[in-house]
Amino acid sequence: MLEVLIVDDDQIVVFIQKKMISNHEIAQNPISFSQAADALNYILEDQNHTKKKDFLILLDINMPNMNGWDFLKRLEAHPQKSRYHVIMVTSSIDAKDKEKANNYSTVRSFIEKPISAADCEKIKEISEISHFFETA
Amino acid sequence: MTKNSGELKILVIEDNPGDFMLIEDYLSEEHHALEIQRAENFKIAKTILQKTSDFDTVLLDLSLPDINNTELLVKDILAFSNGTPVVVLTGYTNKDYGVKTLSWGVSDYLLKDEINASILSKSIHYSMERRKVQHQLYESEEKYRTLFDSSPLPMWVLDRNTLEFLSVNQAAINLYEYTREEFMQMSVRDLWADDEARIEETVEENFHDFFTLKVRHYTKSKNLLYIDVQSNPILFGGREARVTQAHNITEKLKAEEKLRHSQERFKALVQDGSDLISIIDQNFHYAYVSPSVKNILGVDPEKIEGRNVFDFIHREDRDKIEGKIQYLGSRKSYQLPSYRYKDGKGEWRWFETIISDLRDDPAVKGLIANSRDITKAKVQEQQLRESLERYDIVAKATSDLITDFDVKKNEFQYSNAIYDIFGYSQEELETSKEWWQDRIHPEDKPRVIEAAKGIYERGQKILGIEYRFKCANGEYKYILDRSYVITDATGKPSRIIGSMQDITERRKYINAIERSNERLREIAWTQSHVVRAPLARIMGLIELLKNQRNNLDNIEEIIDNILNSSEELDKVIRKITIKTEEEF
Repeated sequence: MLEVLIVDDDQIVVFIQKKMISNHEIAQNPISFSQAADALNYILEDQNHTKKKDFLILLDINMPNMNGWDFLKRLEAHPQKSRYHVIMVTSSIDAKDKEKANNYSTVRSFIEKPISAADCEKIKEISEISHFFETA
Repeated sequence: MTKNSGELKILVIEDNPGDFMLIEDYLSEEHHALEIQRAENFKIAKTILQKTSDFDTVLLDLSLPDINNTELLVKDILAFSNGTPVVVLTGYTNKDYGVKTLSWGVSDYLLKDEINASILSKSIHYSMERRKVQHQLYESEEKYRTLFDSSPLPMWVLDRNTLEFLSVNQAAINLYEYTREEFMQMSVRDLWADDEARIEETVEENFHDFFTLKVRHYTKSKNLLYIDVQSNPILFGGREARVTQAHNITEKLKAEEKLRHSQERFKALVQDGSDLISIIDQNFHYAYVSPSVKNILGVDPEKIEGRNVFDFIHREDRDKIEGKIQYLGSRKSYQLPSYRYKDGKGEWRWFETIISDLRDDPAVKGLIANSRDITKAKVQEQQLRESLERYDIVAKATSDLITDFDVKKNEFQYSNAIYDIFGYSQEELETSKEWWQDRIHPEDKPRVIEAAKGIYERGQKILGIEYRFKCANGEYKYILDRSYVITDATGKPSRIIGSMQDITERRKYINAIERSNERLREIAWTQSHVVRAPLARIMGLIELLKNQRNNLDNIEEIIDNILNSSEELDKVIRKITIKTEEEF
């Protein structure tokens, strides 16, 4: 099972992304977090359950307190990291950020805000998670 | 009993009174001064001969009563007569017997029946004469044998056919280290060191002749000798032989070799040396000029010898040379100041000369002038001076500060720009390296000192570095310091020539550009992040409105959010405008 998390401190962004995710049938009820630390706790707690889930995480880079990079660093240290599929969502993609993301195995893709219908279709085609959308 | 001069003293050994009287008569007939003694038998004869030794002749009758053995008689009488000629008188007619007595050593034999006064006298005189000649021959041989044996010149006698040694003298034994016995087992071939074919040929060609030859011999211990051989053919004990003198010229050759070396060295020094050596007489005429003049001036020595020294010296230089030469005699040797000298093409060469006063030396009788062509050095000196002048002009022409640091003395020299750029007057200046380093901005100092190690420790020749330097008024100026290192003979830095360009204006300008770039980068970042955030929201919301209108519950709220985001965007853009208008 694939659970979708939206991590962004901007509530309007969260609103837009939720609408797009559900309308494009990526997930019915994506869960959102305005604090990256909360999202991290949620994910790690889930890993204690016997039946483990995969997570698709739409992650903002610039956030107060724990930013996107810190969040990635924490995920990277985790043994279950192959189940985490991160899509970096940023208002502007620059080459330096992309290069930096190469250091994190969990990053699957980059999306420039706002998320578009085309972006949603592309998410479904990401090889590591495409099998979750085949039957639906 | 002594005999008078010219007197003939004869012993007659004769037992027969008749025979004795006859002999006495014959002798008296031919000789006036005559002393005759008679021995009647062998025994008396022996006694007389033992007592008296100055008989001129002994006449011996072979038939004596007290001895039968004729051979014993003859030999004994010969022995006792001690070289006095003995003439035998015999009655035997057997000629062979007489010949036999001759072989025993008697001088003559006479048959009693044939004797008359003249025959007897002739025989006596002939015997005496022969004895005298024999004696001379003996003495002469003795003399020559002594000469051979005691000659300091090594000599030997060789068999002319086999070349085997027949005799060697002591000098040869000493020189060649073989004993006489060893020599006698050897041939002269055993001495030859090399060149056998040539020696054999010479010996063969001159079989009957005298020859001389230079050869090399080995001694017994294999020392090589150079020998001048002189060899004469002789008869030696009836054998065809040669007597050879071996003149040892080894030492002479060595000495000659040494002398030749020494002469060659001297010649090389004088002829091929770079110095021109000449002898100048009292009137300053050249008495001798070394052949090296050919190399140095392109002139043959003969062209110069005999001419006046001053003919060749540049007119402008003559006075100072003459002035110096005045003091001749007060010192043995002195150096002349450098002067110009005309070469074979009429061009001027610079010379430096040391004069040695050897007028008292009979081998020289003049001044020895040892001159060296220093034209090259002079030209270099000239070039250096010009270069220094150029350097001074450049230093004056440029607004840069030119420094010249003497590493050993720890001393800076500055051009006037030290005042023009930094405001230091001559009174405020110090010349040490430390003074300079103290004026480098503290933030730049470690970097500058580290870079300077490249010069002092790693043999770096050129250094270009920027740093701030303190002015007299306490302000700092940015300078670009370019240094060039001059090294001494061992490759260590001896001087460092520096040019310090005041780049304060340029540096300020660059700093301004750098600050401006920084601001532009900030704006760019702001644009991409701060501006795009509200814009992205607006775009996202409008997208929802357009495509998802039916799924939206609160359209009013979405429109409000669009409005808020637009206002936010507006604010951000205004802020950028203000920032852009700020003075850089």
